[in-house]
Amino acid sequence: MRDVYINGLGAFLPGPPVPSNSMEDFIGCINGQPSRNRAFVLRQNKIKTRHYAFGNERGKPYSVSEMAALAIQNAAGQSEISLQDITFLATSTTVGDLILPGTASHTHAALGLPPIEIANFQSVCASALMAIKSAYLQIKAGEHECAAACGSDFPSRYFRPGFYEGTSVMKEDGTLPMDVDFLRFTLSDGAGAFILENKPNERQISFKINWIELRSFADRFDTCMMAGGIKKDGETLFWGDFDSPGEAAQAGAIMLTQDFALLKRMIPVWVSHYLQLIDSKKIVIDQIDHLCSHYSSHSLREETIKLLKKADAMIDEDKWFSNLYTKGNTGTASIFIMLEELIRVKDLKKGENILCHVPESGRCLNGFMLLEVV
Amino acid sequence: MDYTKSEEVLRALLQVWADFSSKLDALPLIDKLNRGKFRVEDYKTLLLNHRQQVVEGGRWIARAASSIDDRYFELRSKFMKHCVTEHRDFRMLEQNYVSLGGALEDIQSGDKNIGTEALNAFMFHRASQPNPFDLLGAMFIIEGLGQNKAGEWGRAIRDQLNLQDEQVSFLLYHADHDDGHMEEFEEALKSGILDIPGMGESIVKTAKIVARLYLLQIDEIGNF
Repeated sequence: MRDVYINGLGAFLPGPPVPSNSMEDFIGCINGQPSRNRAFVLRQNKIKTRHYAFGNERGKPYSVSEMAALAIQNAAGQSEISLQDITFLATSTTVGDLILPGTASHTHAALGLPPIEIANFQSVCASALMAIKSAYLQIKAGEHECAAACGSDFPSRYFRPGFYEGTSVMKEDGTLPMDVDFLRFTLSDGAGAFILENKPNERQISFKINWIELRSFADRFDTCMMAGGIKKDGETLFWGDFDSPGEAAQAGAIMLTQDFALLKRMIPVWVSHYLQLIDSKKIVIDQIDHLCSHYSSHSLREETIKLLKKADAMIDEDKWFSNLYTKGNTGTASIFIMLEELIRVKDLKKGENILCHVPESGRCLNGFMLLEVV
Repeated sequence: MDYTKSEEVLRALLQVWADFSSKLDALPLIDKLNRGKFRVEDYKTLLLNHRQQVVEGGRWIARAASSIDDRYFELRSKFMKHCVTEHRDFRMLEQNYVSLGGALEDIQSGDKNIGTEALNAFMFHRASQPNPFDLLGAMFIIEGLGQNKAGEWGRAIRDQLNLQDEQVSFLLYHADHDDGHMEEFEEALKSGILDIPGMGESIVKTAKIVARLYLLQIDEIGNF
């Protein structure tokens, strides 16, 4: 089996950075009223600026597949390959532009490449690692020499007032409940991409992929973050089972929701997965030089650190790198965008190890990736 | 796996805990609570069943203390102190039951469900072995419940059933008063007992068994 390298990293963040006090200029105010949950949510996640695919300079929103293609072009531009060398494309997204066909097809089209092999991954944040692993295995197995993997998300589409107003989810006073409003001030838009090859760069550093490991814990958790359904009396009603899309939307079965209490119960399971990897020596704490963890909110970081310290499994906080605070939580795009910044701003040395962590609350997934600077 | 350091044991125990806590949430009764569908009857049944285990807590800790020889007398006094703090707890639970209109004699004369029988038999069996420090694994699970779950459950039950704090005092008390227990636990792990061959493994195994039996106890609520 061949070694696989990340040789180009790219990001696309639409429009200018949006400060916290202007968020509602982009996502709108529900029933014309500024959200009362905004300050609380921002205190929890500590995000200062983010980007939105709406309201940009060109006057029409970027689509998920357009942003993916722009990030891939950016990544290819940073690498030693030409875009045309890509013969395999893996995309990840939380919600694509269309229900079907998949985002990979549209991204391929937007790139303007000749016929290539594609794979389409759709979940929440951790689908980024599914796409990277797919590209990694394709190259490792000798099926392709050069691949692109990307993550692209446009959640703010669904945060606009029209997606909530008039639905049965609204509270009597015309405001949104916390579990719905929370996501509006947590998630934002963007895309990121990697170019992978079977040999390292000649003129600049590369990341050798040592391993990628993903685990689903859906055997023990109900759905936590969801779009396209609504929980009622312990059962999930699917939007397609309503008599019409209009009725589904009215019942709140289209919007994105998050079950807070359930999310908190996932933390020990994610930490336990990490501890297993330490016990099996896949992760050796002293050998990790940088940790890129895609925690969705600063408060979750603090909760996790408490547990890690207890188990003597903590990676020093000065090795943690995150741009959540300036680039926002961009879902599947986050880990790409984080690594793209890491390689630009940090003076990375050959031989250093980078541990990447992507948990997903959707229905409890957890993934790790170990990279080595070469 | 041969665990000789307290950190290794703690790491393994946290993994047992993660598995246990997520399986706990999948049990029908807890799932019902998480879904916000708890009834007063569910709470009463929970108290009635749980009391029959809690009432034995002080006894098995005392039995374990009596099985510790003089080489470890410092730890013996810790077990004894721990026993004193726990052995009246079931009274609080009984008061909670009575506050809901239950009869004191019903909860006091209640039988153990088949899961509680298994858990209890195992605890006394282990506590009767010489120097049964593997029971620290059991304490990790039971204390973990007090620290991580009791408060959440107590508040959820109070809010769903519109009860007063005094009516869920057993659950809330454990969430508020068990803070120091984890530090004591870590001290016990570091006291030299891990030098006993196989002790680290044994602690983890006992934690796994107790976690399994605890799930059984809740799963078998009402099955006497």
